[in-house]
Amino acid sequence: MSNIRTTGKKSSNTLVRDLVNVGIFAALYIVLAFLSSSIGYIPALIIFSTGSIALVTSIPLFLFFSKVERSILSCLIFCGFFGTAMFVMGQGVLMLTISLLVGLLAGVVLKVLGKGFAGLFSANIVLSLMSSSMMLPLWTSTEEYLEYTRTMCDAGYVAKLAELAQSPWPLVAIYAFGILGAVVGGFIARRVMKKHFERIGLAK
Amino acid sequence: MKLDPRTKLFLAIVANSVILSAPPVYSVLMFAVPAVLLLFEKKWRFVLAFFSVYLASVIGFEYLKTMDAGLALSLFVSTMMIVSHMMPITIVLYYVMMSTKVNEFLAAMARMHVPNKVTIPLAVMARFFPTVFDEARAIGHAMRMRGIRLFSLRTLANPFSILEYRLVPLLVSVTKIGDELSIAAVTRGLSPETKRTCVATVGFRVQDLIVFVYCLLVVVCYVFLGLTGNLLAR
Repeated sequence: MSNIRTTGKKSSNTLVRDLVNVGIFAALYIVLAFLSSSIGYIPALIIFSTGSIALVTSIPLFLFFSKVERSILSCLIFCGFFGTAMFVMGQGVLMLTISLLVGLLAGVVLKVLGKGFAGLFSANIVLSLMSSSMMLPLWTSTEEYLEYTRTMCDAGYVAKLAELAQSPWPLVAIYAFGILGAVVGGFIARRVMKKHFERIGLAK
Repeated sequence: MKLDPRTKLFLAIVANSVILSAPPVYSVLMFAVPAVLLLFEKKWRFVLAFFSVYLASVIGFEYLKTMDAGLALSLFVSTMMIVSHMMPITIVLYYVMMSTKVNEFLAAMARMHVPNKVTIPLAVMARFFPTVFDEARAIGHAMRMRGIRLFSLRTLANPFSILEYRLVPLLVSVTKIGDELSIAAVTRGLSPETKRTCVATVGFRVQDLIVFVYCLLVVVCYVFLGLTGNLLAR
């Protein structure tokens, strides 16, 4: 892995394939994350939105993890794109930093544990921390985040958010539901991978 | 009228940050730029549609937000709010995406010394958003024929089936497209280690300077007025 330059043409070709895969799955992930987080627009379901993101995106992530060969580089760029997209949508620099860290961590986990179920499963859980962090500014910089949402949502929703920001427990719940979603999604993804992707040769 | 991709990037960043942080007056000043540029690209129908929807949502929101009504109306109002606040960003991004060829984008990025490992996935990603939506729509039509919709009897009986029937075909088709794309790219000699050549000329011209100066003026105006406390009211 470390001597990409010296191994010549073949390694460079797999690198291009990895990079193209990163682009594709990043597009897919961003679309799916926005769609599945939209249940958070119902005030009562705010806490569960991270769980639904992790649940829905775990199947594409499993496929992505099993397809890329340079785990660390791919995960880093993948999460960097998601962080940049969130940054463009108005989240702070904190989100970008967290995304890069999570990407690095997920890549390392994937590299250490290998491409078996254990590796994919734990990398998926690590990556769910990234989508769960979307709500983090509500606790770290409450006023700014409320001001930001006030320009986007109506007063009732902002009041609900302000009520959530009072205690740290909803934050814990958000991360817990994110991880729970990733765990459940991981088991579903394992079944789906076996049933569909391995049969037609998309994944090993 | 062609702008350098780097100017477009600058425009996108400045417009985004101004639209997200400043009062609406500044966002109007900001998205006037892509609107004018789109007119140069002969997209007047898009610009017209954009302005009518934008005005409708802004006026509708101003009118409706004082009313206190049930959940349905509040959902409607919040949708309108998102539309009126997010639309300026979409027109900027639409202009940048529509007018930039991948070729020029990669050349400009190489000039900025951004490594190819970042620009190649970025180019693929920008190209892939429409593909994802197209594929998803086609799969949705096919599945509707078999009675698999968001709220049908079959999906209510087993909610995870919607994941399986909608997501799995999407993933299969998207990965196949991706494989073909990477094979095509490798055949044409795209590689992160070699330097690519480009026929299109990429460079700064007078129009780039005008856009640059305009963006800077808006930002300076916003910062200056903000410091002196004379910020134009919301």
